[in-house]
Amino acid sequence: MGKVLLAYRLVTRDIRQHMSQAILLVIAIAAAAATLTMGLAMNGVTSQNSYEATRAATKGPDIVAYLTAASQANTLVHAPEVSGSSGPYPVAYGTIAFDGRTAAVFAEGRSQAPAAVDQPYLTAGSWVRPGGVVLERTFAEALGARVGDVVTLNGRSFTVAGVAVTAAQPPYPNLCSGLTFPGPGYSSSACPPWFNIHSANVVTDDSGQIWLTEAAALGLASTANPLTTWVLNLRLDSQADAQSFLDRHYLVPPVADGGNFRGPMFATWQGIASEDAVLVQDGQAILEAGALLLALLSIASVTVLVGRRLSEYARRVGLLKAVGSTPGLVAAMFLAENLVLALFAAGAGLLVGWLAAPLVTSPGAALIGAPGAPPLSAVAAVEVVGVALAVSLAATLVPAIRAARTSTIAAINDVARPPRRRGALIKISSRLPVPVLFGLRLAARRPRRALLSAANVAVTVMGIVAVLSFHADVDSKLGAGSTLTAGGLSDPVVARDEQMLAVITIMLIVLAALNAVFTTWATVTDARRASALMRALGTRSGQVSSGLVVTQVLSALPGAIVGVPLGYLLFRAAVHHGTLAPPLWIAGTVLATVAVTAVLTLVPARLGTLQPVTEALASEAA
Amino acid sequence: MNGPPAALLRVRGLRKDYGKGDGLVRAVDEVDLDVARGETLAVMGPSGCGKSTLLHLIGGLDRPSAGELWLNDRRVDRLSERALADLRRRQIGFVFQAFHLMDELTARENVELPALVAGRSPGQARRAALALLDRVGLADRAGHLPAALSGGQRQRVAIARALVNEPLAVLADEPTGNLDSASTIEVLRLFENLHASGLTLVIVTHDERVAATADRLVSMRDGALVDETRLTGGSERSLGDLIGLENCDG
Amino acid sequence: MQQEVVLAMLAKEPSQGYQLRARMNDALGPLGDALNAGQVYVTLGRLEKAGLVTVDSPAGPADRERKVYSLTAAGQERVAGWLAEVSWPKPDLAEFHLKLVAAAAAGLADPISIVDAQRRELLRRLRDAQRAQLAEPDGSDAALLLEGIVLRLQADLRWLEACETNWTTRRRRSG
Repeated sequence: MGKVLLAYRLVTRDIRQHMSQAILLVIAIAAAAATLTMGLAMNGVTSQNSYEATRAATKGPDIVAYLTAASQANTLVHAPEVSGSSGPYPVAYGTIAFDGRTAAVFAEGRSQAPAAVDQPYLTAGSWVRPGGVVLERTFAEALGARVGDVVTLNGRSFTVAGVAVTAAQPPYPNLCSGLTFPGPGYSSSACPPWFNIHSANVVTDDSGQIWLTEAAALGLASTANPLTTWVLNLRLDSQADAQSFLDRHYLVPPVADGGNFRGPMFATWQGIASEDAVLVQDGQAILEAGALLLALLSIASVTVLVGRRLSEYARRVGLLKAVGSTPGLVAAMFLAENLVLALFAAGAGLLVGWLAAPLVTSPGAALIGAPGAPPLSAVAAVEVVGVALAVSLAATLVPAIRAARTSTIAAINDVARPPRRRGALIKISSRLPVPVLFGLRLAARRPRRALLSAANVAVTVMGIVAVLSFHADVDSKLGAGSTLTAGGLSDPVVARDEQMLAVITIMLIVLAALNAVFTTWATVTDARRASALMRALGTRSGQVSSGLVVTQVLSALPGAIVGVPLGYLLFRAAVHHGTLAPPLWIAGTVLATVAVTAVLTLVPARLGTLQPVTEALASEAA
Repeated sequence: MNGPPAALLRVRGLRKDYGKGDGLVRAVDEVDLDVARGETLAVMGPSGCGKSTLLHLIGGLDRPSAGELWLNDRRVDRLSERALADLRRRQIGFVFQAFHLMDELTARENVELPALVAGRSPGQARRAALALLDRVGLADRAGHLPAALSGGQRQRVAIARALVNEPLAVLADEPTGNLDSASTIEVLRLFENLHASGLTLVIVTHDERVAATADRLVSMRDGALVDETRLTGGSERSLGDLIGLENCDG
Repeated sequence: MQQEVVLAMLAKEPSQGYQLRARMNDALGPLGDALNAGQVYVTLGRLEKAGLVTVDSPAGPADRERKVYSLTAAGQERVAGWLAEVSWPKPDLAEFHLKLVAAAAAGLADPISIVDAQRRELLRRLRDAQRAQLAEPDGSDAALLLEGIVLRLQADLRWLEACETNWTTRRRRSG
């Protein structure tokens, strides 16, 4: 009992004394934890789950059939596997305009009474009525229209009566992506040419889904824009049979009509579901890559922060051992403090991640997802805490073991590890100008610290290169580098990806900046005595500062260069066929990172030389 | 006030304050001092009396709050940081109580360092370092790391380092503070030697034995000089009197 | 010169007067310069009277330098006893201490000035002794003796430092 009390006292007092460092540690770990939480939340609320929910709420179909004539419905409806159906509903094609934006639409004519299969679930407003249209939710978001707004459809005005989600269509802008095609020779994710063969309006993948009254749909048709499509929704006896149903009912071989296939086309619910999943795929990749990077940066930050106080820990360890603690207890207490902070950071990260999760995890407006914060599963929470503890452990385990193994008297007297001697480097440096002499020797004294600095920079550059590649990839997908379609609507998938990317990028930059500050500040403070000695021997302050910059650049440059291929690898691992960032951006990143490191070193270095030499010499021997 | 014509170092009204208002601590209080060329001056006093601070001010390692400092007829208390660095480089050598050698450099490399800082070629620096190590009696230890040297040897290396750029004066702050009796004797011998070769030496010490090597001894208390004793010329008594041989009790 | 010292110098073998003095000079080094020849012989005379030493005059007119001195049995016993003693020379600080007290009480002189003057003298002596020590080869008998003298002077100087602090505080308190 006494041991626990002692541990508690020591840990709390130490944290209070070094509050700023404790806070920094918590921030470093919390950032990684938050990202991980968001990633796991996204994992938990997959579109698959949401699709199921949407299907249940809308009485979603197992098969959606696109007919070229209403009469084709009879055979299908009476097929033995079919247990329920709705339709056939006439589809008119047209152009919708709102607030300066235009888009092509797939206008389904519906009855005002609820359908037996595929009754879209209203998330706002009410169902179709004369003069009123219902917009699919993703499309409504892209168009920017809300309930009550007035839109123009083929020149006629309609009011937006409601906004709904459906399980019968993939979300905007993937209208035709759910369609299965009868065989090879037909391209996927392109709408069949017969959809609108006689019309001036061309239906493309990025047409929007809307519903209106049957009368209104029929009214939209004209001789120039005849009805060519009817939608039939089918429910089958056993859901898994959707594909075999298709195999039986597709017209094979295709009937030629000017060389184009013409006949009913189908979409299965599985196909539609997988299209929904696409929305989150890239985003998930981004989040996972981001979490990995942040975890690495986190470990690096914690290592630097903990490493700074090693000699103090060693002394405390020695005292504890001198009063009779066993090495195991000593190591445990050393770890305890950092683990406590890690736990706290995990909690903070979980909270932040949970609150921020809706930003990235709402599975697309197309599906039902909790509008507020998604429920965080216990498993996910445990995973996040586990990762935070692992990060802390990774950084503190080696010093803890070493501290426990040190002989008691050596620890109390704090016989610091003497710096390594590199005879060749010392000889070479004596031929170089004084700042380089100092910088080189300083780096050679603590090769492990130099390696850690290099690793920090490598991880930072790795992250920036990956992020830049993601940006380049997104840009190339849109061609012009804009997220807007020709009609002025934003692509929700891309927009969501960009949003997530932006969040990750900001967190990456913040953590990398923190990391850079820790590392440079640590290097300068640890070199305080050596710097003071050089000044005492007649080196100018400017030479000393430059020397410290040289030390940092010696680690930063190789680190940055190594980070580039690693960043590419990470990007490729996350997004299997993406475009890499252009070399100019990469070169710029490397130079900018080294330059920032140099500046971040220069500031504390300059400030350090303001301290009188004698004070600095009296500080702990490095 | 005219100092002695051969004064290498002149201190006038030197003051160093720390803190402000109620918390003001005057570490050095209006000190006037002259050090002649080739003289060995010892500064003694209880701990906290400001003798180390005085030495740091003279050596350009700290800035005075007020007063004048003249080295070789040149005013040095108002110099820029850069000029002060040059001063430390060429004109003043400093020996610290804690030696402050670089642990990863050999004795020779440690001694070379100020020469390299002063811009001399590596070859020149090496030669000068070896010559000085020979002079302090450590020629056979030139390739040793400080960890392999005794306290007295390390301090001798530090002294050699202070001499490598042929300074006008060497300032030593408690040079035997961390040494045992035998090592102290090594260092004392070296100081006598250097003094004999004409070097100007200012030594801060609390060890009377070290002070006894000086020509002149000043005492400090609470930041001010309170006493001065001329030691050259020795005592009026003969050596034998020290053991009282003439007393014949039976 | 303590009698026992002279006795001990004869313990190895009987010696002539000049040999005895030479042996003592060797052991004292530069400090031996002050050794008064006469004192040694006076002591030898007393020892002979006390029956601890016998004197043999060699043939011919013998000056004291050539006489042969040797220990008697009693003398040897005395030496053995002296070697086994663990007394240590008494420090005689009381005289100086009383000097200060008296001067202060009678108002005859400023005790601090007395202390300062004594400090100066001791410092000079320390300087002389130390120089002599450093001039001697390491490990020689004389160097060892000189080191002892140096260290004692240092101890005495430390006490004088304490005296100065003490008397200064007293003066400050009394206004």
